[in-house]
Parts: sequence; C-alpha cells; structure tokens
Amino acid sequence: MRALDRKLLRDLWRLRGQAFAIALVLAAACATFVMSMGVHRSLIEIRDAYYAHNRFADVFADMVRAPREVVDRVRAIPGVRQVQGTIRQYAVLDLPHRVEPVRALINEADSDDGGLNRITLRKGRLPLPGVAGEVVADEGFAEANGLAPGSLVPVIIHGRRQVLRIVGTGLAPDFIYAVAPGEILPDDTRFGVLWMGRRALEAATDRMGAINALSLTLRPHAREADVIRAVDRILAPYGGTGAYGRKDHLSHAFLENELTQLDALARVIPPVFLLVAVFLVSIVLDRTIRTERTQIGLLKAFGYSDRVVAAHYLKFALAIALLATVLGTAGGVWMGEATTGIYARYYRFPFLYYRISPLVVLGAGLLSFAAAAAGALGGMRAVIRLAPAVAMAPPPPPAYRAGVVERLGRLAGFSATGHMIARHIARWPARSAVTVVGVALAGGLLFATLQFIDSSRTMLDTWFLRAQRQDLTVSFTEARDEDALFALAQVPGVLAVEPASSVPVRIAHGSRSERAALEGILPDARLSQRIDADGRALALPVAGVILSRQLADKLAVHAGQSVEVRMLGGRQTVLVLEVTGVVNEYVGARAYAPLATLDSLARDHAITGAALLRIDPARRAAILTRLKGMPFVLGVSEKAATMRKFRQMIDDNMLTMIGFYVAFASSIAVGVVYNSARILFSERAHELATLRVLGYFRSEVGLVLVGELAVLVALSIPLSCLIGYGMARLMTAMFSSDLFRLPFAPSPASYAWSVVVVMLAATGAALAVARRVQTLDMVRVLKARE
Amino acid sequence: MDVVDLRQNDAPNMAFVATGLAKVYRTGETEVHALRSVDLAIPAGEIAVLLGPSGSGKSTLLNIVGGLDRPSAGALHHGGVDLTGLDDAALTRFRRTHVGFIFQFYNLIPSLTAKENVQLVTDIATAQMDAREALALVGLDQRADHYPAQLSGGEQQRVAVARAIAKRPEILLCDEPTGALDSATGVRVLEALALANRDLGATVVIITHNAGIAAMAHRVVRFLDGRIAQVEINPSPVAPEAIRW
Repeated sequence: MRALDRKLLRDLWRLRGQAFAIALVLAAACATFVMSMGVHRSLIEIRDAYYAHNRFADVFADMVRAPREVVDRVRAIPGVRQVQGTIRQYAVLDLPHRVEPVRALINEADSDDGGLNRITLRKGRLPLPGVAGEVVADEGFAEANGLAPGSLVPVIIHGRRQVLRIVGTGLAPDFIYAVAPGEILPDDTRFGVLWMGRRALEAATDRMGAINALSLTLRPHAREADVIRAVDRILAPYGGTGAYGRKDHLSHAFLENELTQLDALARVIPPVFLLVAVFLVSIVLDRTIRTERTQIGLLKAFGYSDRVVAAHYLKFALAIALLATVLGTAGGVWMGEATTGIYARYYRFPFLYYRISPLVVLGAGLLSFAAAAAGALGGMRAVIRLAPAVAMAPPPPPAYRAGVVERLGRLAGFSATGHMIARHIARWPARSAVTVVGVALAGGLLFATLQFIDSSRTMLDTWFLRAQRQDLTVSFTEARDEDALFALAQVPGVLAVEPASSVPVRIAHGSRSERAALEGILPDARLSQRIDADGRALALPVAGVILSRQLADKLAVHAGQSVEVRMLGGRQTVLVLEVTGVVNEYVGARAYAPLATLDSLARDHAITGAALLRIDPARRAAILTRLKGMPFVLGVSEKAATMRKFRQMIDDNMLTMIGFYVAFASSIAVGVVYNSARILFSERAHELATLRVLGYFRSEVGLVLVGELAVLVALSIPLSCLIGYGMARLMTAMFSSDLFRLPFAPSPASYAWSVVVVMLAATGAALAVARRVQTLDMVRVLKARE
Repeated sequence: MDVVDLRQNDAPNMAFVATGLAKVYRTGETEVHALRSVDLAIPAGEIAVLLGPSGSGKSTLLNIVGGLDRPSAGALHHGGVDLTGLDDAALTRFRRTHVGFIFQFYNLIPSLTAKENVQLVTDIATAQMDAREALALVGLDQRADHYPAQLSGGEQQRVAVARAIAKRPEILLCDEPTGALDSATGVRVLEALALANRDLGATVVIITHNAGIAAMAHRVVRFLDGRIAQVEINPSPVAPEAIRW
C-alpha cells in the first residue's frame, strides 16, 4: 500500500465519528432510493408479469345484456386482439356466522385457454364444466370467512337461493385490490369475488347465450380511445355503460396510485439527504485541509503533483460514499421488505416480493458518490491552489474586526463568552449556514412526513364524519324506485333514509371528456354533504352540476361554463348543464346534480342503487339481520367499520413511516450537528483550553461549545417550519392521484414533534462532542502555537 | 548569591510549598520522570526565575503549582491546603481565584478585543479590577478595543499580562513569557510583571531559557533532570529595563 493511501486509511479512522455521521446521511438517501425505487420496480415487474401471465385486459365494458355474438363484432374492431364476453353478477351470501349481509361478485371462471383476466388457483381446482353450484373463491375472502375447498355457502343469485360449493381458492389480476363498489378500502369480511363456470352462471342468472360484461386486449400501437369509442357504439343498444381503459379500472387505479406515491417518494426525499451530505463533506474536508495545510505543503514539496494530493482528499469523500452505499442498500432492502409486507396486506398478488435490482443499487451508489464528489470539489480546489511554500508557513490568524454582530453584541450586553459565540458564528457564515439549513432540512423532512399522516386523517374525517353522515349504506341488487326506500324506513330502529342515486355519464367540455358517476342529491339531504376543502358544506344548486376539483381540472372547466352530460346506457340522453360550482373534495372524481336532473337523464330508468341509513346504534344487530332477509338488499357497508379499517391502515403505515422518518431526520440532525460540533471543537480546542486555564469550569467551557450550536439550532427552527411547509405542499401535490387528493392539513403537533425530535437528536450529538471538554489537555494545547 | 537550605519550607508566608513532588509520564512502555522528588518553597511576594534545559522539569512544576496538572507523588501546599488532594472543580476554583498564567504564545481569544479578553477573567473572578484599569497598568488602555490580530506580539503578551493580573492573583505563573519576543518588546513585558509583583504583591514565577532575566529575580532556581540543582537568592534584583539580550 502506498504511504498516501495508508494516510487515507488512518485519516478515515481518526475522523471515524464524523465520517460515519456523514455516511449515515448519505445512507439515508440510498436507503430511501433503494426502498422506493426498489419497491416501485418490484411492484411494476410483478404486476406486469402477473398481468401478462393472467392476460389482464386493456379495456373493460359493462352493459345490461347483450348476446354473446356481440363479442365477434367487438373483435372485428381494428386494434382489438382478444375479446372475452362474460357474465358478472352480484350475489348476497348468507354466511351463518355474520350478522351483516355479505356480497360477492360472481365472475365466469376460465372456460378455455383463450380467456382474459384468468385465475391463479391457490387451492383446489376450477369448477367442472356443466356442474352447477361449483365456485372458486378469492383467497382473501375465503381466509377472512373461514372458507376452504369443500365449504358450502348459501347464496341468493338473481333472486334465487342456492347453495354453492367452494372447490378452490384463487386470485385474479382484475382484483389485486378487491374493493366493493363505492368503497375505498377492501373489506374481505364483507365483500368477495367468486368464479363460476359459464354454463352454471348463465343458468343461475337467466342469461343463456348472453353477457353483461366484456373485456379485451389491444394490439400494439392500437389507440385505446378509438377502440373505446367503437366499443361504445356497438354496446349502446345493449345498455352499455361506457367502456374504459385500465386507468379507470378500480383495482389497477388503486395500484397505480400507490406507484405514483412511491415514485414521488424517490424524487422528493433522497435529494434532501444528498444536499445535506454535499454540505457536510464540504465542511469536513475544508476543516481537514486547513489542519493538514502543512502536510499538504510538504507533500507538494516532496514532488507529489496537485492531482495526486487533490485525489487523496477526493478518495476520503468517496470512501464515505462507499460505506454509505453499503449501509444504505442494506437499510433500503430491509425497508423495502417491510414496505412490501404492508402492500401485501392490501394488494393481492400470487407472489409479492421485494427484489433487489442491481440497477437500483447502482443508481443509489452513483447518487451517493456524486454527492460526495460534489462536496469534495471545494476542498480539492483549495488543495490545488495551495502553493507549497505558503502551505508550510503557519496560516494567518483568523482576523476579527468590528462589524454589525460585534456592535449588536455590545448593545445586548453579552458576556465575553457570549461574544465568543456570536462572533464565531459570524466569522464562519457559510459553515454556520450549513448547520442551520441542515438541521432545518431534517425538521422539514420530518414535518412533511408527519403532515402526510395528518393529511390522511383530515381526509378521513372530512369524508367519513362530515360528508358521509349515514351509519349504513345499503346497496341494492339492482336500481330501485322509492318502494325500496319505504321498505327500509319501516325497519324498526332506522331513523332516516335517503336515496343514493347515480347514473353513469360521460361529461364533455370542448375536446375533453371524462367518464364519471353523476350523483343525485336531494334538496334537503342531511345524510350526505359536499364538504369543501375549507370544511364548509357546499350549498346545493337548483340546477346545473357541481364537479369535484379533480374532474373540473381534467375537463379544464370552471364554474359558469357549460358541459355536455351524456348518460351512458339506457337512452344515451344528452343534457347541456352549467357548472354551478367546483367542490374541493378529497376522494375521487365526482359530479353532482339535483335528483330531478338525474331523472331527466335516466327517463324511465330507476336510478337509486343504494340507500343511506341513519340508525339507532342499539338496534344495529337486529337491523342488519332484517336487511339480510330483504330480497333487494345486496350488501351493507358500515361507516364505522370502514373508518376503523381506514384508521388501521393509516396506523399500520404510520408506525412504519414514522419509524423510518424519525430515524432519517435524526440521522440528518445528528450528522449535521455532530460534524459542526467536531469542527467547532477542533477549531476552538485552544480557546476552550485557555478558558479552563483561566479558571472556567468544564460546564462553563462546554457551554461555549454547546451554546454556539444551540444558537444555530434555534435559528434553524423557523426555517425548518418553512422548509417543512414547502415540502409538505409539494408532497401532497405529488401524492395526489385520480383517486385521492390529499389535503394540506398539518396539525400543530406535527410542527412540535418535528422540532422536538430534531432538537433531541441535535442535543445528543452536541453533548457527545461536549463530553470531549472533559478530556481537554490544557497543558498540551497551550504549549503549542495554534 | 547564597545557596539556601530548602528545609525552611513550612514558614507561613510562603506562596507555595512543594514537598517530595514527583511526576512520572507514561507513554506506552516507557516512563519519563519529569520531576523527581522536588522540595521547593517560594516566599510570597517574590519574583522567582526557574532556569534549566528543556525537559528538566520546570514547566511540569509550574503546571502542578498552577493546578493544571497533578503530581504522581508528593504534596503541594498553598495557604494551608494541599492542592494534590483537590478535585477538578476545586482546582478550577483555585485557578479562578488565586493564579494568573502567561504563556509563550499569549493564548488570547482571537474573536475578543483586548478589553474583552481581560473581561474573560473579570467576569468570573472575585477580587477583580476593571478591565481598562488592568490594560492601563500594562500601558495598553489606548488599544483596548483592538482585536489580537491588530496587535503586535509584544502588545498581545501585555494583554495576556493584563488578563492575568486583572484578578489580583496571589501567584503569577509565566512560562517563557518573552520567548517569542525581541529584547525591547520583551523588556516591556517584564516591566509589566515587575509591576504586578511590586504594586499588586503577586508572587511571580517565571520559566525562561534566558539567563539574563534571572537578574530581576529575588530567587533563581536551577533545574536539571527533574531535580532542583541549585537555588540562589539574589539580594539585589535589577529593574527589568536594565536587562538586555
């Protein structure tokens, strides 16, 4: 080993604390990158493999009823590769151990090899062709309800009671996120998917030779929008409710939403760490080079070239980056596995693993090496500029002169040690700024992530407590008229009933158009309200349509303009309606109109698919039992249960997230404060020893050291709040998708926690260095010229 | 000069009394005996000059007397108290109240002006004088608001003297106070030390390689190999301005 490399190793060992602290910050960057990019890539890879293997369709369409022959017409559309017509039927399951009605969506099981959205069998077998009553149940639903091959399930399909035998459990790519219609969280106890043989399903639903759903795959380069238009034209006479692509497919969209968030995470978080690491490498090298000034002069005098000496210091930075890459990759893989574990609870894949991608690790390594090298640039330039003769002479003493800080300090009546603190900060403004900004970034990052949880909670509260005031949502087997509402109102314990009506529409503005559910609202509705982002309930329009912000943005329309609303299915009625308001809602892209408008769109079609109920909580069980016995009731979702699940999801994620980000923010704060403190200590050892000699106690001397850091950390707090505010705004914007729009709703506690955690980390780091005052060797220090 | 008997060391008017003082430094496997059983008593109010080659033990003794270091064996009494038995806080209090230090390289705080450097001491000492008054004593009251970088070496050392005497110390310990200065500048520093001795009654102990300085001392102690080789009493010390080197 060459002598210079040996020096490098010893320098690294000597500065191990500082090097490790920087490595931690860089490692946090690598870890977040490896975690989020890794999970992102893994999820996409697995999803794509699953989609390809199980032939997940590209376009989907529902209709009331069409002859199977329509499949051939759709297949003839240019760009269509493969088409499958199926029957999808909701059914009510009578699970003896459940008070509440449980609903299932029955699909056709694969009949031949050519099918789309194919099942991956987990247990048992597929239903035998021609054998009635055999079904495959989706794995999550089976597990949640204690069902297994061999179980018998009483069920009401199409108004007829029959007993199904479960012959297998499985998964399918169109139900990775198996959520009941109108819900946002999967609830395996109340909603499941079943697959039945075609003949049996046709018989059970009286649809011999008919279908009510269709899915298709596209040829490469086919234009999805063109195909959708053609499909809609073909299906219009059959009550087609509008074909849609994968982006509007519920399961796919939820998964996509998650991927968007992961991608945002990989873009927002690592740069923060990288920036701090650049600063840290730069200040540590700057100090090292100043203390090694004479050695640098000597090396140059011996004939080492500028390049070799500069490279020596670059290697110091790169060695830190190497350590960080190793630590960060290990941490990222561990976090990736933990995150994947959480995803596996909500997203149902045949296999879900976190795969370490060499490209991701390479990317993380490149980022940390680039950051370290960027941080080393200034130091290398200084090394190159230093002429040997100049370098070997002692450096000029730091020149202090009277300036603003000095005058202010005198006006404030600082003690001599107070002056020392204030002037040292002012003497090294760049380094002081690194400490302030670094600690502020730590606090800001923590705040932004904590705010994310506040944001989810606010969304939850606004949506479930303010907007949805019902206790139960009762979905009907098919759209009904008022009779169903009357029947529900008769149930003892039901305090209020309101219809939940909606029609599928396509809303167009100029060249843009979007599929949406147009929801009808009663003039005096009390159980459902439209809550604006500022928390106010939006007044109802007498006419016209209210759009959610997301929908309005997609259509590039604002209040006062008109949109064309075409009902999908039925008679395809078209109305031109004025947008009377835009509501800043958090969930989904929605449109609202008075019930009368819905009636004129639907003409003679029933539009009430569900009812909202407020009930006497004491009679919940009795009410659910009554509902279970009503033939038109398909399912019941309970707001309290959904909220509980939602809260649990937030808490699950929160614990993991808080754990990660508290660790991350602390690593930044520790990295910044520890390095600043070490540099400060090394610069001031002489002064501190002098104070000890003059009769200052260790605690008083420690205060000079810690005091400077305390001032810098205190300065960082307001900046931290500002940075946190900006990052939180950015993150809520980047995390919002078609499904959810996250509110910016920080709680004061989040500001407080982020400040407290960062202060604790900073205090720990500062005290670790302040302990060195104990070992200050007064005699040795004072003998030497500084 | 007369050679004196060292056993008269428990007289009450002594600045400090060292008895059997030894200091062993261990570096790895080797032991360095910096002090080997030193007995020394310096009467209060004297100027003592410690002479001797490098490594002869004079700095070690000075550090122990000043409460910066602890002996390996022996006792050191000051005002009836054995300093060797004190803990760190008590030694710090001892330095804060009774001892002033002056070093070869001044050890001023670069971020503080001359006056503020003196205030470092007056902020915490009990019997302090005003910072400006201390600077006036060394002839630097006009330079009170200058930073160390704006002062010459001699001026910096006089600020260090002002800082050391501002607490009216009983003992003023000076380790090579003129080592970095030319003759004319050094003499001004020595004048300031003589003044502290004469006007403030401080016992002044000066370590130096410069035998010429011995002329201003009441007592000259010669060190060799960690032992005291000789103590001379100077019945007629000269004024610093008479010294040249």
